[in-house]
Amino acid sequence: MADITQLLQSLITGVGVGLIYGLVGIGFCVIYNASGIVNFAQGVFVMLGGMICHALLTRLGLPLVLAAVLAVPIVAGIGMLIETLVVRPMWNRGATMFAIILATLATQIMIERITILTLGDQPRSFPEFTPGGPLKLGDIAVGYQLFWILGCGALMVGLLWLFFTRTRTGRALRACSQNREAAALLGIPVGRMLLVSFALSAALGAVAGILVTPTQVTAFNIGTPFGVNGFIAAIIGGFGSAAGALAGGVLLGVLQAAAIVLFGAGFKNVAALSTLLVVLLLFPSGIFAGFKGFKRA
Amino acid sequence: MTGVAPANAPAVGTVRTPGVTTAESPLLEVTDISAFYGRVHALKPTSLHIGRGELVTVLGPNGAGKSTLLRAITRLTPASGRIAFEGRDVSGLPTHRLAELGVIMVQEGRGLFGQMSVRENLILGAYTRPGGDMDKQLGRVFELFPRLKERIDQISASLSGGEQQMLAIGRALMAEPKLLMLDEPSLGLAPRVASEILATLGELNRQGLGILLVEQKAPLALKLAKRVYVLSLGQIAAELPASEIRSHHDLARYYLH
Ligand SMILES: Nc1ncnc2c1ncn2[C@@H]1O[C@H](COP(=O)(O)OP(=O)(O)O)[C@@H](O)[C@H]1O
Ligand SMILES: [Mg+2]
Repeated sequence: MADITQLLQSLITGVGVGLIYGLVGIGFCVIYNASGIVNFAQGVFVMLGGMICHALLTRLGLPLVLAAVLAVPIVAGIGMLIETLVVRPMWNRGATMFAIILATLATQIMIERITILTLGDQPRSFPEFTPGGPLKLGDIAVGYQLFWILGCGALMVGLLWLFFTRTRTGRALRACSQNREAAALLGIPVGRMLLVSFALSAALGAVAGILVTPTQVTAFNIGTPFGVNGFIAAIIGGFGSAAGALAGGVLLGVLQAAAIVLFGAGFKNVAALSTLLVVLLLFPSGIFAGFKGFKRA
Repeated sequence: MTGVAPANAPAVGTVRTPGVTTAESPLLEVTDISAFYGRVHALKPTSLHIGRGELVTVLGPNGAGKSTLLRAITRLTPASGRIAFEGRDVSGLPTHRLAELGVIMVQEGRGLFGQMSVRENLILGAYTRPGGDMDKQLGRVFELFPRLKERIDQISASLSGGEQQMLAIGRALMAEPKLLMLDEPSLGLAPRVASEILATLGELNRQGLGILLVEQKAPLALKLAKRVYVLSLGQIAAELPASEIRSHHDLARYYLH
């Protein structure tokens, strides 16, 4: 049986990775709210964030800050490319939601292959943003990167909140999520909003990927686990609000970490999927439904 | 409130040449617009026009195709046929481009952003006027609907039915439309509230706003309009001066069976 220090230690790790799931979950919600599309290529943005940042670091020799800051708009651009080349043509032809969602899944696989061909199939990592550490609290070690994840996570949520409540485009995106027809009738280009949502969502995924890479490794195939866990985080949070997805992610990360300590590493996914099932059965609109900033119309 | 139409409203039955851009070209001219839901021909080829500054009413029983007509004009529902706005062919434009030109519709059921405040709904109404003076525009709307000012920070879903309709119209006015189309604005409202809202539409029309008003119940709408289209079974059954219809009984004569 695990001792209490070990458990606390793993919970702290769980909070960190859970926040990352939360960011990915917010990415799911941004696109879903704007369009009703569940973008199953969400995980590749996490992978691309880490991989492109790594490539900029090692191949171009850029400093970490610059590589990180550059990687985000590059991935946002890839998100816009996916919208333009895959999603928009289907959307315009009136393809079913099911077909569009499958196409995003195919896109994920394609991007993974392209990544292998261009950036290689080996796992990669880069150093923590702040060297040194970990911080010792008694017997528990807290890596500095956790503070970066906390800080950047909070910053992202704050910026998102400002964007959605204070800017013309952010408001228009929310309008689309509540009533797309009414939005169009007021002159909001609903199609263009889809592009904005893909850019935003990809940027969020990239930030998550860059933040998490120093704590583990990144490779062409990490998109799926992050995508699945981010998706579960979004569902726990009710698939509506940023705060809900973030809280859902932390809950998921902590439960997974606890399951690993208590029952062994094989139970990581069991914990995630049981959490999903329990939430779907007992709280079909998410356990934080009360927090929901906005519902779908 | 009496339904005095502006002096410049065109006479009933004026002959028009489609596609001619002159000061006299009508505000909106719809020619042979037609729409299907699957294989159901919900709107048979229909033509109508609205003059500048005119208030025109479309009446018809439930299921006649009134909403389909407005949705076809605004391109929410795919439709064939020709639409000209201020003499310019706009048949190919999507919904949001029409809004930019000044064609704004208040949907059946109001189409509010339910989880947003009154203020946010109104601000979104001015989406096509990014450089405009927001406070001045809000002031104009609050002059017409003082109740909205009292409720400015309330979530729109929590407003009463009448207040929601006021908000829907106020939001549409934020866009400074040239043509305001309304789909059954009095639906589900107490008669007193409904007549208050229709009176406001009359006032807006007197200030020069072109209005296409769709209603199912005739009396209030007939007071405002000079000209009425009767829609029945997906086509226009009659075009009449409003003075010829005094009761619902009169109207029923024109319904197709
Ligand atoms: N989305 C739809 N799918 C199929 N049929 C529809 C749809 N909307 C309306 N209809 C049908 O089209 C006809 C006209 O409807 P509508 O334009 O809503 O009438 P109104 O607004 O005059 O009550 C009705 O017979 C209605 O049942
Ligand atoms: Mg209707």
